[in-house]
Amino acid sequence: MLSCVTSVVLVGVEPRRVNVEVFVGGGQPAFVIVGLPDTAVREATQRVRAAIQASGYEFPGRRVIVNLAPADVPKGGSAYDLPIALGVLAASQATPKGAADVVALGELALDGQVRAVRGGLGAAVVAEETCLRCLLPPESAAEAVSLGRAQGVVAASSLREAVEVALGHRSGAAIPELIGDAPPTADLAEVRGQPLVRRALEIAATGGHHMLMTGPPGAGKTMLARCLPGILPRLTGGDVAETALTWAAAGVPRRDPTLAPFRSPHHSASLAALIGGGSGIPVPGETALAHKGVLFLDELGEFPVHLLDALRQPMEEGHVVVSRKGASVRFPTEFQLVAATNPCPCGYEGDSLRSCQCPPRAIAKYQRRLSGPLVDRFDIAVRVPRVESDEMAGPPGEPSGQVAARVAAARKRQDGRGTRNARLGRSELDVLHWHSAAEGMLEQAMRNSALTARGWDRVRRVAATIADLDESDVILSRHLGEALAYRGQR
Amino acid sequence: MNDARLQVAFGGMHPDRVRDLYDRHGPEGTLHRVTGGGIKTTSRVRAAVAVPAATRRRELSAAGIDVVYRGELRYPEHLAEMPDAPDLLFVRGELPRRPAVAVVGTRRCTSYGRAIARDYGSAIAGCGWPLVSGLARGIDGFAHRGTVAAGGVGVAVLGSGIDVLYPREHTNLARGLIESGGAVVSEAPPGTPPEAWRFPPRNRIISGLSAAVVVVEATVKGGALITAEAALRHGRQVFAVPGDISRASSAGSNLLIRDGAFPVLDPEDLIESLELLMGPPPQRPVAADDVGVQGWERELLDLVASGVGEADDILARCEASPGDVLAALGRLEISGVLRCEAPGHYTVAGRTTPGR
Repeated sequence: MLSCVTSVVLVGVEPRRVNVEVFVGGGQPAFVIVGLPDTAVREATQRVRAAIQASGYEFPGRRVIVNLAPADVPKGGSAYDLPIALGVLAASQATPKGAADVVALGELALDGQVRAVRGGLGAAVVAEETCLRCLLPPESAAEAVSLGRAQGVVAASSLREAVEVALGHRSGAAIPELIGDAPPTADLAEVRGQPLVRRALEIAATGGHHMLMTGPPGAGKTMLARCLPGILPRLTGGDVAETALTWAAAGVPRRDPTLAPFRSPHHSASLAALIGGGSGIPVPGETALAHKGVLFLDELGEFPVHLLDALRQPMEEGHVVVSRKGASVRFPTEFQLVAATNPCPCGYEGDSLRSCQCPPRAIAKYQRRLSGPLVDRFDIAVRVPRVESDEMAGPPGEPSGQVAARVAAARKRQDGRGTRNARLGRSELDVLHWHSAAEGMLEQAMRNSALTARGWDRVRRVAATIADLDESDVILSRHLGEALAYRGQR
Repeated sequence: MNDARLQVAFGGMHPDRVRDLYDRHGPEGTLHRVTGGGIKTTSRVRAAVAVPAATRRRELSAAGIDVVYRGELRYPEHLAEMPDAPDLLFVRGELPRRPAVAVVGTRRCTSYGRAIARDYGSAIAGCGWPLVSGLARGIDGFAHRGTVAAGGVGVAVLGSGIDVLYPREHTNLARGLIESGGAVVSEAPPGTPPEAWRFPPRNRIISGLSAAVVVVEATVKGGALITAEAALRHGRQVFAVPGDISRASSAGSNLLIRDGAFPVLDPEDLIESLELLMGPPPQRPVAADDVGVQGWERELLDLVASGVGEADDILARCEASPGDVLAALGRLEISGVLRCEAPGHYTVAGRTTPGR
């Protein structure tokens, strides 16, 4: 007899439907899984057999063939235990046929309990497309529910319960609250002093500009960067789904799915960890997890050059394609890059109080590493000075909530342009309304060779953002002047 | 006579020793005694001195190096007044004859000293006075940079041979000095490595070329204080810029002030004092009036001119929003009134025009 349970496979971040076809027929007793299973999937035979018997059903004493279709996409992990078990029960007529009409995902324990797996959100997406109910372990269901995909999602904590829920004989198990990762964010109220950096941060958040902070150790660069998600507008609609799918694909649930993601990979991270990779089907890397959010590189100067070079494609194109044996996958990577660096290896070069202990050659080497194509992509460069002691004792800064309100208002002005200011092209910048004084200033800057061609566009993008924050439709010379003060390479 | 002096100079002996030998035997007598073994020297010195002067002249002209002998008209008058003036100088570029102003300080400078060195370098050179320093890292280098930026005449006095630029990253700076009408000089023969013992005698040349010595940032045990000492010995005026009393890099200059050096607080102050000492400056720097700086930008410019160079400090002293301050700074930078060395650090650009 034949039955078919629907399940899901994640190709990159994209969930695809998988049909778990089960045939139970004559011949010698055997249990075979085909359709590019990996070792974990193949071992399902043992778990499924034990779980079926422990749940009080009878495992068929005939030939059992399981096909995971499409048969050419590699499948891995233990998540196909539950759909296989449901299929075997339906095909051997131990349960009615209706028990197989679900999208199911879950690992089975030998005693018939269902264990959590990743991919709950993907299963919910497939269930929505196929108009089937989605049967998941409670913890995996929590992932889907937290992202507003509660429609048709039911949970089961054991195989027997799963069968009864699938047949509609009982409602599903309780779905717990999602225990997810909260990003290490900070509130701007905690930042004392630093008025210029706060301003730069606000502009960067408004236009989505890449930002570079340079300053001595302990000046608060990391903390300032962590404030950024809190002042970025909340994610909406498609962005929430896109980021959630990416995070789900990496198996890291998020507590607050509408908060802009924040990722800060260590400088010892591998290329695969940063860009995405792994054997079989590639999993998303840090650049993909930072999609629609912030990628923070602390100690930029310590990152190996090949990692920084690898960032250029994702930064420019907004996505990265990773090819492995299993599949070639495209990850969205529209992140905002924020980097922090010391001015020299010891960190005190240019400091007003402490003299730098580094040999000049070491400073030159350190700065050479930072210069070049990557630094050329930062729209905003700011110095983060040490905080004076009287500022530390001073009043708390403006809280993130107030800044976020201004950022959101200014973002609205950008909506008509189709993209955030940081991604405006030259022709799109040309059609903005420039005041004649601002244009004169730009020309003067070009004449004084204070700007390169790329710098020219960058300064104009930042000026447009400053005008947005100023609620001005015309970009004035004061907006441009401020933008010029933020340019990095001189 | 000059042949003997040139040959002896190529021995690279300590200037005090050469002077002592000349006093006793004269240049020719010294030459004979060194080559003949009558005076104890190393074989290296003997071999170097033995090379005929004609060969040396050919080598020097091939390398584009000039020799200026004491007693010649080209020899700076001010330097010749010193009893321990060098017998000859190897020169690249044009050695100015008028008295100069020296700006010296520590190699390990803070951003405070760096900004001051540049500003003072620009201000002095902008007045048309030659600026002398040692082309070392730190204060020396920044004073020279200020000179070049202001389009002034600068002289770098080296402790090594004139063709051995140390530190190497100042190669372009040295070229800039020569190209803008200044010079690189040394009393050590070409090819001499930067040996530590050559720097104190070098410092006496810096002071000798100058009518005044400005010590910007100095440690207690540094070359800058040796230069200041030489300056006092030669009767030059010593100026010192006060610094943080708790900082080692300012201890030397503060000590000089305690011992009677003239404290300077800003470039105008210094220029005024220098005028009393050296007469009116050949040129006058013209400030930012011609680029339409007005209103509160004027205030901001004065603030930067008074040495408040960090954008954060400027903001802290103005009643304005961060955006307005940065906008003004950006505008002033683009119009060439201000210069920004690193993000957030501003100095007044030393723009000059020929005298009134």
